Amino acid sequence: MRINRVILWTLLLLIVETAVIPWLVPPAWTERLLPHLAFIMTLFVAGFGGRHHAFLFGLGFGLLQDILFYGNLIGPYGFGMGLLGYMAGLVAERRAFTLVFFIWIVVVGGGLLDTVVYLIYKLFRLTDLSYSFVFYWQIAPTTLLQLLFALLIYVPVRRYLVKPSLASGEDNPE
Amino acid sequence: MRNKRLFILMIGLIVFIAIMGFTLGRKKLTWPEKFINDAVGTVQGVFYRPVGAVADFFRDLGRLSDVYKENELLRQTVAQYTQDQIRFNMLEAENKRLQEELNFTERQKQLDNYRYLIAQVVGSTSNPYEKTIKINLGSRDGVKPDMAVTTVDGLVGIISRVSTFTSTVKLITDLDENSAAGMPVSATVLDKETQSFGIIEYDKESSNLIMTKIDERDPLAVGDKVITSGLGNVFPKGIIVGTVESRQVGVFGLTHTAVITPAAKFDHLREVFVVVVPDVDGP
Repeated sequence: MRINRVILWTLLLLIVETAVIPWLVPPAWTERLLPHLAFIMTLFVAGFGGRHHAFLFGLGFGLLQDILFYGNLIGPYGFGMGLLGYMAGLVAERRAFTLVFFIWIVVVGGGLLDTVVYLIYKLFRLTDLSYSFVFYWQIAPTTLLQLLFALLIYVPVRRYLVKPSLASGEDNPE
Repeated sequence: MRNKRLFILMIGLIVFIAIMGFTLGRKKLTWPEKFINDAVGTVQGVFYRPVGAVADFFRDLGRLSDVYKENELLRQTVAQYTQDQIRFNMLEAENKRLQEELNFTERQKQLDNYRYLIAQVVGSTSNPYEKTIKINLGSRDGVKPDMAVTTVDGLVGIISRVSTFTSTVKLITDLDENSAAGMPVSATVLDKETQSFGIIEYDKESSNLIMTKIDERDPLAVGDKVITSGLGNVFPKGIIVGTVESRQVGVFGLTHTAVITPAAKFDHLREVFVVVVPDVDGP
């Protein structure tokens, strides 16, 4: 994993996520489609770069996002993305990294991230929505959109950001 | 090995809950936060504004047929406006004379003299539980926390965090009635300012504003325009919030609640106004 290049690209993605995506989503869906592009890159890092990289990567970008849009508290995304990046890395190290496996990771990871964030807001009583409503209203559509996006960037990420020795799935030196 | 992992997870959990608890009620930002906000905010603006202009262009193309009708309506409004202007000038002159006679202090006279700062939106969050947007005005331009933010249509939010060149705006869709955070916005009804009173909140599941704590004998009726009342002098008065859609008896039966359709749209914002209330404690 060419980690420096990935960090640069993810910074760009974070800006796209907050400045471009809101314009592309139709007005009726703005509350429902809130993709976390930096999190998808964290999952790529987990798959190709190992769990420790993914943990630091998720923690850093999660905290960056928290600080940039500091409404009530700092930390939900830092915590969620760090934890899920590590867990995704843990799972990825035991399985062959195939496309089907990656789809699973994106769907489950995306759902879990939104769930973790929801639980944190519930814990601090900042939201009183029920989980079933949140799941139907926001988590499910967002996860599907994230999956679409992940599939779109899967090939370029593999080709340009992963070193040839790692992309072939052999044991890595890191 | 497994124990160590669990141990680290527990420590991480505790540290994060501490951070979240610590940052929960805080208003000031430390310098690293300000620096990150300003640096990224500048880059966000470079993307957000051009993309917004292009998106708006295509949306406007779709609305071309409405333009003629809108133009007609605007012409009528302008005609009415010129008449109101004359009336307004007379009333203002009289008001000033009366204030002089009643020996108003300079502070009291300046109280309603709001300044509107125009701000460009540079980004919007992807966090579903606290809808915030970012604008390109900061403490350098005189923006302070808890100032009102409006569009040409009506109230959209409240300044929540300020750094040097950018600030974060919490949308009024975040004023959840059952949440621990949030600041009450007192509201009244246009033309019945002295008799009507209520608190504005937001109901996420029906995406409407709710006005609560309305008195039983309140003259508020369906179709009335709701504006901010400015009681307490922290929040400016006379900002349009929305239109009353229905009114019913509240949960406990003592007061009434009203459903209000917001006047402003909260998505796809490009330009907003920050309302600066004259400094009450200042010289």
